[in-house]
Amino acid sequence: MSLSIGLDTAVKALRAHQLAVDVASHNISNANTPGFSRQRAMLRPIGLMGADRYSRDSLIGRAGMGVEARDVQRVRDQFLDYQVRNALGQKSQHSALASGLAQSELVFNDPSDDGMSAIAGRFWAAWHDVVNDPEAPAARTTLVHATETLTARLQRADADLITQRKDLNRLITSIGDQINQAASEVATLNLQIKQIELNGDRANDLRDRRDLMLDQLSGLAQVTYAEQGDTTITVYLGSHELVTGNTSRDVKAVADVGNPGMTKLQFSIDDADVVSSTGTLRGVLDARDAGIPSVQQKLDTLAAGLISSINAIHAAGFGLDNTTGLNFLTGTDAGTIATNATLVANPQQIAAASGLNAQGDGSNALAIANLQQATLMSAGTETFDEFYANTVGVLGADVNRANGLTESAELLNSHLEGMRQSVAGVNIDEEVTNLNSSQHAYNAAARVISVIDDMLDTLINRTGAR
Amino acid sequence: MTTTRVTEQSRHTAHVRYITSAQSKLDKIQEQLSTSRRINRASDDPAGAALALRHRDDLQFETQMRRNLENGVAFIIISEAAMNGATEAIQRIRELTVQASSDTLNPTDRLAIAREVDELTRHIAQVANTNFGGAYVFSGHQTKTAAYSVIGNPPTAITYQGDAGQRTRRISKSDVVPVNVTGPGVFGTAFTDLIQLRLDLESGASATTISSHLSEIDTALEGILAARADLGARINRFDAVTAQSEQTDINLQQLRSRIEEPDLAQTILQMQQQSQALEAALGAIGRTANMTLLNFLR
Repeated sequence: MSLSIGLDTAVKALRAHQLAVDVASHNISNANTPGFSRQRAMLRPIGLMGADRYSRDSLIGRAGMGVEARDVQRVRDQFLDYQVRNALGQKSQHSALASGLAQSELVFNDPSDDGMSAIAGRFWAAWHDVVNDPEAPAARTTLVHATETLTARLQRADADLITQRKDLNRLITSIGDQINQAASEVATLNLQIKQIELNGDRANDLRDRRDLMLDQLSGLAQVTYAEQGDTTITVYLGSHELVTGNTSRDVKAVADVGNPGMTKLQFSIDDADVVSSTGTLRGVLDARDAGIPSVQQKLDTLAAGLISSINAIHAAGFGLDNTTGLNFLTGTDAGTIATNATLVANPQQIAAASGLNAQGDGSNALAIANLQQATLMSAGTETFDEFYANTVGVLGADVNRANGLTESAELLNSHLEGMRQSVAGVNIDEEVTNLNSSQHAYNAAARVISVIDDMLDTLINRTGAR
Repeated sequence: MTTTRVTEQSRHTAHVRYITSAQSKLDKIQEQLSTSRRINRASDDPAGAALALRHRDDLQFETQMRRNLENGVAFIIISEAAMNGATEAIQRIRELTVQASSDTLNPTDRLAIAREVDELTRHIAQVANTNFGGAYVFSGHQTKTAAYSVIGNPPTAITYQGDAGQRTRRISKSDVVPVNVTGPGVFGTAFTDLIQLRLDLESGASATTISSHLSEIDTALEGILAARADLGARINRFDAVTAQSEQTDINLQQLRSRIEEPDLAQTILQMQQQSQALEAALGAIGRTANMTLLNFLR
């Protein structure tokens, strides 16, 4: 009896170690698969089956019944998952904001020799040239060109910023699509995992995939989640249910009535707005609705200031032909500012003089040139130049800050990711070592079988009558 | 010390991170060196960028101020040359008047002197109508109109056609100055007096009458001299302001370049350090990447 138990034990060992080899092989195969967690064959000894039944005195059977592979488990730390996902949300938020703002910075191309500030400088200089030679047609033509260059530059900056907002807006729709894809995959996986695990099996690889989807969702927007008793995971986007069991709620991109030309994300089921305080979605929205508009607004303020202050003085002056009452600039903001077309066609009508019939009088032009030094912006504290320099400085600081936050979030994220990898990742040397030890154990178990075989041979063939 | 499990993926991401980080730092330094600029966009140094912009604005302003000064000096020099010509002519008239004040002069000589006085008077009128770059310099704001119109031949009247307008310009942040002097400010009543002198010479007026014109001539000379002194003072002031502006320019250029441009020696050193760091990272990765237990198993 006991010899056959021994055989049975050895066969169990073969099976268990075979499984351990399979697990190591699976781990090695997935060493570079994103989201994969290493797996472990959980071996445990099979205890006595009750030695009493054979003999109280006999020790036979007390050696135990061998080994069994009870389970194949994923090695993973859910708390690290939670931390990594938090960091992912921060990282994506800041990097989306940083790249959104970095583009608006390029619109100004300053400080440089041909940035907007240099163009504005040439504009003011052209006024001085008119002051120097009010009767000279060349000075007036130069002023018209300098003005057209400046107004065109402002208009282009405004148009570039509008395009950048539109580009960011397109991202919103794509973020919505990505959320829907990940959410529907989580829902499908919920169902599959539940079916497999209800039978007592382990859906390790499906769980890995589901965790990867949760990682992705956390990068896109602010999500919270909880695993239910039935192994499914419920996911919330903001405070709205995104996935329950095997159902996911789609989000859709719709026109935002309160924000003309822009879209927002809503849940299809009840038209509730998607709210997210982290993730790419937040970063893109911050750049689109706060960062860029604030730059646009400053440019508009600058343009409006130029238009009103220059026009007020210009309209009171007189051209070479005594024309008066003309505005120098038309339009109301950075998008519409332009040189008065009448003056482009007739530079002699530029009102350089303060009085009638005074061709050599540049005093009105001088009053306009003096506006360069006048503190007309920011409640009378800044000149146009200073206002512009501060606009560029503040935008630069915003980009810089977003870059810094991105960098530190990336550092935190890679640190946490490293810790998570350290727990869940595959080390090939380790797996090879496991493979070796399983191989040894397998070989030894096979040896046990041949020993028992010898023993049975001795017992059956070499004992009794010959 | 705790041992961290190093895994294939964490090793891979770490390698990628080392290389990317070293490469991006090297890239930044190369950008600084190849553009000779430390600030290529405002976010490279926001406070520095704002300050550099202010310096750039000031530099451009100073350049324009020097342009205004140059243009102003040219205008003044032209005016001065004209006044110099007028002074010489009036001095010659004074000499002639002194000659004519003698009773010994016969009527023919007086007529000859009268003709020369007439010529000189017209010359002064011509000089007073000096035009610079399309502008009559002594006409005030009426720069498209000759300062004086000569009526009659020989002239019976030379009348001022300009106004009292001042041709002002900015020469520094704090100074707005006129560059012109107007005809009456320079010549006063000289033309009327000179015409009267000629008429007296022609009509054979007494020596006393003729010599009474000397004081008028002296007043005219003084008037022109005073105007010349005034312009001379302005040129001196312009020169001083130009020198000041040039100094400001040098200072601003230095400030700007200190903010905007990289310290070459330091940056080259940094580049060497960073390329060594990159080389070290690559070397370390190359050496550890193939290290595996598999090399030692049969």
